[in-house]
Formats: sequence, structure tokens, C-alpha cells
Amino acid sequence: MEEIKILHLYPDMLNLYGDRGNIQALKYRAEKRGINVIVDYYYLGGEAPDFSKYDIVFSGGGADSEQALVANDMLKYKEQIKKAIDEGVFFLLVCGSYQLFGKYYKGVEGDIIPGLEIFDYYTEAIPDRKKRCIGDIIIEVNLDGIKTKVIGYENHAGQTQNVEKPFGHVLYGQGNTFGAQEEGFMRKNVIATYIHGTLLSKNPEITDYIIQYALERKYGEKVELEKLDDAFEEKAREQLLNRYLSKRYEKGEFYEEIKKK
Amino acid sequence: MKNFFIIIITKIITITLKIFGKNAGNLPGNLALKWDKDIFKYFKINGKIIAVTGTNGKTMTNNCIAQIFKDAGKKVISNLQGNNMETGILSTFIKNCTLTGKIKADYIILETDESYVPVVYKKLPLDCLVILNFFRDQLDRNGEMETLILKIQKFLEDYNGKLILNADDPNVSRLSKANHENKNIFFYSIDKCKESADELYEAAEGTYCPFCKTKLQYEYYQYAHIGKFKCPNCDYGEEEIYQLLTDINVDEGKFCIGGEQYKTQYDSLYAFYDLAAATTVAKLYEIPEDSVKNTIKEFALNNGRLEKLLINNCKTVINLAKNPTGFNVSLRMLQKDENKKDLLLVLNDNVADGRDVSWIWDIDFNNLDGVQRIITAGIRPYDMAIRVKTAGYPAEKIIPCTSIKEAVEKLYETENTKYVIANYTAIQNVRKEIKNFHKS
Repeated sequence: MEEIKILHLYPDMLNLYGDRGNIQALKYRAEKRGINVIVDYYYLGGEAPDFSKYDIVFSGGGADSEQALVANDMLKYKEQIKKAIDEGVFFLLVCGSYQLFGKYYKGVEGDIIPGLEIFDYYTEAIPDRKKRCIGDIIIEVNLDGIKTKVIGYENHAGQTQNVEKPFGHVLYGQGNTFGAQEEGFMRKNVIATYIHGTLLSKNPEITDYIIQYALERKYGEKVELEKLDDAFEEKAREQLLNRYLSKRYEKGEFYEEIKKK
Repeated sequence: MKNFFIIIITKIITITLKIFGKNAGNLPGNLALKWDKDIFKYFKINGKIIAVTGTNGKTMTNNCIAQIFKDAGKKVISNLQGNNMETGILSTFIKNCTLTGKIKADYIILETDESYVPVVYKKLPLDCLVILNFFRDQLDRNGEMETLILKIQKFLEDYNGKLILNADDPNVSRLSKANHENKNIFFYSIDKCKESADELYEAAEGTYCPFCKTKLQYEYYQYAHIGKFKCPNCDYGEEEIYQLLTDINVDEGKFCIGGEQYKTQYDSLYAFYDLAAATTVAKLYEIPEDSVKNTIKEFALNNGRLEKLLINNCKTVINLAKNPTGFNVSLRMLQKDENKKDLLLVLNDNVADGRDVSWIWDIDFNNLDGVQRIITAGIRPYDMAIRVKTAGYPAEKIIPCTSIKEAVEKLYETENTKYVIANYTAIQNVRKEIKNFHKS
């Protein structure tokens, strides 16, 4: 029986916006195909995990106070994490964790939380405390040549810049910075994004991309995932895509709206 | 003079709306505030102001306190309809004041939205503030919970009035340290009981000490992160309790205070916490105990907060849940019920609900034993359908509906017990449809 091992980092601290739903979605879609899923958790100050032995590592977003604590702890594992990424372990990073894997996070007061410096991007909080990038978001992503729309919700004050390759192109919402064209960061084995909602719950293609990647890497052969009944997912997507894109998308009016924001 | 006219005009609007059968809600207050941002100063208030805030249970606690005071013969003004932001409170004042702005009452009891506590009580003399709990709620509106707590903490730094705090919520209890000069701090708590658990598995806030960031140790949990806690490093916790509910029998709706037994219509620990807060206020303002006991025995909100109905001979329980904790509490009630059950889950994403529906992923759906069907409805029925499917509930037993009317009709196709859980802007709609269905 095929098996996927997932490591969930700081589940009790980086759990702000239902992000643990990503683990549930991965588990659900893998188990439906008869793939065994093992989920291990790493808690702050716990025994050092062996990142390289996992197929997927997930880390979510937390409140500012918790994020600072986590950042300190995570720095201890900088080299192991870097090694695991180089070896091809898949990393899914949402919100706060997206930021932590960059160079640094600079708060409103100018305080700097050092990042793992695994990627070149950096994040600075917007100086106006009342302003945040908040709302439903839709982006278009390219998964190995297949274009698909990713839907979800963003809620961040951090403005992330110097992103080498984004996760997707913003169709509705803000993205990496206010009014940005681009959202998140992507490599073959990394998705880092501000999107929750929960991300993998409404974007089964992304979930399947991750599962397929993990299996192909682990077993060294091409994998065709069996189709699942995604009626609910399709309806949920249709609803949000209609709400935000429908006619205005064709006319290109939403670009005007983003500029006005 | 200007204020005089503002009051007249907004009063006329209030009355006109009432004639057309509409509740004035926030509108009069909204207009008055637009015309004069210092309008609060115009009111002459003789009575004492008691405010109730927190994430869950505000309306229930507020209305229970108002009822206790009324039953004891006091003249009370209160925003019983739950209009708890600045404009809603202002509307309540406009409705109840004389043309010269006098508010004649012994007590003004105000449910107050957490984020409006500093805004409103900067302008009004506050005699007593009751803080119930802090859970994740509508994060996109309030900002992170910690920011919210810090705002209230800042307000409390130079507040010396009565402060009633839930000792069992580490996010609330910490506020006793905001102002060391304030000697008017009173804690309430609920004793360990059958409902208490050793382990926590629901979405939790505040499991770390707010002062030294050490992981808190719990002797027991009541629900979510509410329970008997202590910081092993800095001894935070273990406050002196002013009001303790003991001999808890949730199923029979019974508890004791100082050896005296109280009976209530509610059978959830979550409601007991609201009653604990309300009876603390009663004790502090020296309301006779017999009178309080009577009020507690009779009190029921009947507005979709743990409301019980018999519809087409089906036992129906309706509860509002606007965050994971509220949802988990409702689910816990359903798990205790051994009958066959149908579930209706209604999810809206209007501004007042929070536009973000991610929070449904923090609900604990692991135990749906005995649930025969789940009907989902509201503006986002498919999100809820995906949620319960992913939790392992069979997809073929999930019925998403885009209309609430249709959902209610589907719900009553069987004779099972019904549990209805809906969020903020959905709840009154659902109640209405259920009652219409009953009539037809």
C-alpha cells in the first residue's frame, strides 16, 4: 500500500485561519484513493523532527505574538529544512509561514523577525495599522502547464516583495502587496501563499498536485490519480468565481477596481 | 439646541419605523452620530451603567441581568435586541430618553461589542464591566484576538469601576492585572463537574501564559480553553473566586451557589457560564437571592440561542454559532442525544458574520454518531458540505440547499430529532422559515 508521511509544524500555534483543514483535505483525498496517510506533529520545543523523512511538510499562520516565538524555534532547524527542500520534500506554507521562509519580516514598529532565508523574498508590514489585505481572492496558477484558478481568502498586513516566481496571477483580490498582480511563491516542490479559506478544501487540483508530486517522488514512477466526486467543490468554486469574475472578468473591469483600492 | 433637534428627528424615525413594524436597530444612532460626534455628552444619566462584553454569550447574559433587575423591581433600560455597537447603543438611548436627553432608569444594562468597549465607555460613566470570554470570532473584522484584548486592557488601565471576570478563561482573567489600583475586581468560576475533561482537542486560544509565554497547565477543561488553569512558571491563575457555581447537573439544569440550589431551563455548561456571570452581577448589586432564583428558573431567550421547539411533532433545537467554540458546544449537545438526528447547518458570509468562512475548519466534527442526514444551507452551503464530507461524513447523506425554505422542507421529511445550527445573519431567517413551515 502506498503511503504519504506528512509533518505538521506548530499545529497549536500556527492555526489562525482554519489552516489545519489543509491536512484534513490532503488526508481525505489521499485516503479516498487507498493511500495510507501518516501525520506527525511538531510542537514548539519538542524533539527535533527529521524533515527529510517526510513527503510533505505543512506550516500555517499565527498571531503576531505566536509568530515571533515560532520564528525563534524554527531558526534552529534552518539547515535541516533547507536540505529537505533541496531533496524535494514538498513544503506547503500558508501566511505567517510563507513569510518566515523568506529573509525577514519587518513589523510596524520597525522590529525585525529574522526569517529562515531559504528564499529571497522579504516582508514588511504596512505602516498604517488599520490597513490589511483582506477579502476573497482568486488567482490563476499554472501547474505543470495546466492552468487553473485558485480561490480562497486573504488576510494579511505583510507586504511581500522580491518574489522570484509567484504561485499565481491575481484575478481578484490583493496578493503579495496591495493591488499586486502576483500572489505567493512557487517552486516545483514548494507552494507558499497568503491564501486560506481553507486553501486545499476548495482547490482539489492543488491538493491532487501535491499528492501526485509526493507519490511520484517517493515511488519514482508516473502516477495517475483516480478521479473523485468533486460535486460540492465544483459548486463552491462556481459560486465564488461567478460572484467575482463573471461578466466583469470578461470586460476586465475588476482590474480597474483593484487599482482604485 | 442642535442636539435637541437631533434627538427629536431620530426619535421620530424610531417611532415611524416601529409603526411599520421594523426595529430601529442602528439607524437612529447612526444618524445622530453623523450629525454630532459628541452626541453621547448630551444625555443626562442618573442610573448605573452595567456593560456586558465577550465573544460568546453576550445577549444571553445581558438579557438575563436585565430580567433579574426588572424582576427585583428596578427600572431598567437595555439593548435587549443585541444592537451592541456604538450606533446601536446610541439608538437605545434615543428611544428611551426625554427630549432634553434625560435617561430615567435605575440601571442601564448594555450588551457591548468587544471592539466598541473603549470607544463607548470613554464617553460614558461605566459602573460595572462584565467580561465573559474571548474566542476566535470574525477575525477579519476585529483584527487578531490579541489586538482586541490589548485594546480592552488599555481601556482598563485607568478604569476603577467594578470589573467582573471569568476566572476560567485565561484570556479574560489576565485583564485583572491591567490596573493594580482597581480594588473592585470580582471573579466567577464553575466547579469541576461531569462535563469537565482532562484533554483538549478543540480549536483553542490562550493555551500559553499571556505574561511569560509558558504553556499553561490545566487541571481540567470545561469547554474549549475554558477551565482551571495555572502557569507553572509565573503562577498566573488561581484567583480568589467571588462567585462559584458548584454541584453542577447540566442535564437537569441545576447548580448551587453558596449551598443554595438554582434551577434553569438551560442544559448546557456554556449557558451555565452566562448564568454565573449574571448572578455575580446580581450578588454585587445586592438583589435578593429569592428573586434571582425565580428569574433564573423562568429565564429563556427564545431567539435562536439554545431554543427548543416542537415542529410537526419533531423535537427541534436551534442554536446560534458564529465561531468554532459556539459550534462545538452545539455539537456536544447533539452528541449527548442518543436519538436519531438530522442536522441543518446554515452558513452565511455577510459582513456581520465575517466574510471569511475558514473558521468552519476549526469546528470539531469527529463525532456525528446517530446523525442520519446533514442539510447545509445559507449563502455558502457548499463550503459547509465540503467541510462535513472531509470530516468523514458520507457525501451521499449531505444535502446542500441554496434556499433556506427548501432546506427546512427537506429537514422535516423525516421524524428524527432536528438540530439546527446557524451563524449570525442566518439565524433569524432560519427561525422564521421553521415557524412558517410549522404553520403551513
